[in-house]
Amino acid sequence: MSFDVESHSSDTVIVHMGEALDFRNADEFKDTFQDHVEDGVRNFILDFSDTEVLDSTGLGSIFSLYREISPEDGKVAFADVSRPVQVVVQLTRTYKVFRQFPSVQAAKEALA
Amino acid sequence: MAEHAILIVEDDSTVRELLKYRLGKHYEVYTATNGEEALQEIANRIPDLIISDIMMPKMDGFALQSALQADKNTRVIPFIFLTARADEPARQEGARTGVDDYITKPFDMEQLLSRVERLLERVEMFQSQLDAEIGRDFSNRLLPDSVPSVDGYQFHFHSEAHEQGGGDLFDWTETDEGSYFLTIGDVMGKGLRAKFYAYSFLSYVRGTLHTLLQESSSPAAVMKHINDMLLDDEVLEDTFASFLLMHWDPEAHTLTYANAGHCRPVLLTEEGPEIVEHSDLILGLEASASFSDATLDLSPNTALVAYTDGLMELPTTNGDMLGEEGVLEVTADAYGSDAPLEALQDAALDRSNEDDFQDDILIVWLQRDA
Repeated sequence: MSFDVESHSSDTVIVHMGEALDFRNADEFKDTFQDHVEDGVRNFILDFSDTEVLDSTGLGSIFSLYREISPEDGKVAFADVSRPVQVVVQLTRTYKVFRQFPSVQAAKEALA
Repeated sequence: MAEHAILIVEDDSTVRELLKYRLGKHYEVYTATNGEEALQEIANRIPDLIISDIMMPKMDGFALQSALQADKNTRVIPFIFLTARADEPARQEGARTGVDDYITKPFDMEQLLSRVERLLERVEMFQSQLDAEIGRDFSNRLLPDSVPSVDGYQFHFHSEAHEQGGGDLFDWTETDEGSYFLTIGDVMGKGLRAKFYAYSFLSYVRGTLHTLLQESSSPAAVMKHINDMLLDDEVLEDTFASFLLMHWDPEAHTLTYANAGHCRPVLLTEEGPEIVEHSDLILGLEASASFSDATLDLSPNTALVAYTDGLMELPTTNGDMLGEEGVLEVTADAYGSDAPLEALQDAALDRSNEDDFQDDILIVWLQRDA
């Protein structure tokens, strides 16, 4: 299954992360963001509203995205974070790096 | 799992299309009409199996097979010859190394399909056995043979590696002053690659510790070095790791630690269990990340339990994961037991439908005697 990506502006997209980001589809997520980074996208809003599973491989793929776009002032924002995702973000202290927003709408406004 | 790719080399278009059609239902099939074309196709993409005719214009099947044998990258590709009955003398010649099977034309399609399937299975089984062997080898190297033995303290350690598991690691070093440096980590990712990175990492940490201990015994200072190395080293690009570094001084009864996004340890006293909260960002993400030390006093009967996420991610009977709260409960259950790690695992598995852990688990239990 591929990721549902919605374009917000020329440099911002919303990725609906679906039910799981883990070792099974992390490579697919990397391919997905790679295409958009090549097209000039710098801000990624990740919609975690439906996400039940985020494992360390999945989180690693988000880190790869961050490392790729942060030197060019890109941002990765987490929107509508589900409880299982919240647990992982707390544990790894990555809320220090990824801004969190209560909704995709709030993230769009903040990044505009 | 990606589909197997099969290359068909055949000049007769009827046979070629028939094979492509039938095999295409199960595999990804690409074709070439002679040996030369086949070599070009293989240069672009290495197939999992080759089915080749013998008599072809430009470059025949034998020449193709010899060329593949000469290159170490293509030597091991399973190779099936399709031979015409009239080629029986040629078939004798074909009895050479590197050919896995011969099918005589006109061939029975079902027979061909079953041979292809069997060959691919055999290759895959060999590969997975090899992977498992290398994986076990790495896992063993990531773990110590013994644990520190100090009067007035108990030290327990348990780890279990599973094939699907990743790069859990644990190491310890005694300093000249009789104190100890304990390293617990988890390198992100699953399978062999994570294990390999964990291994190269651990060598680095050992080396770094040696040098840094001359100047400082601060876990946070070591952490900063490891983070810089992850971000600067090109081979380790895209590698992330959570680490817990602890400096344990049994004389002073203190434990000074820095935590980079690792599972937070549990401190057990007669007052009950508590999470050791202080922690910083995971390693490999941000160059400007800072790390700091915190110190715990180990009063009599105090235990510190550190672990990796395989324990926390154990699925429980209610469909959730054990989580930090669950870990607090099971460590509290095990506190006071003569064999605390067995008691802890039993308590965890009691909360799950599993008979055993599916992921890698690693637990360190350090306790001061009463």
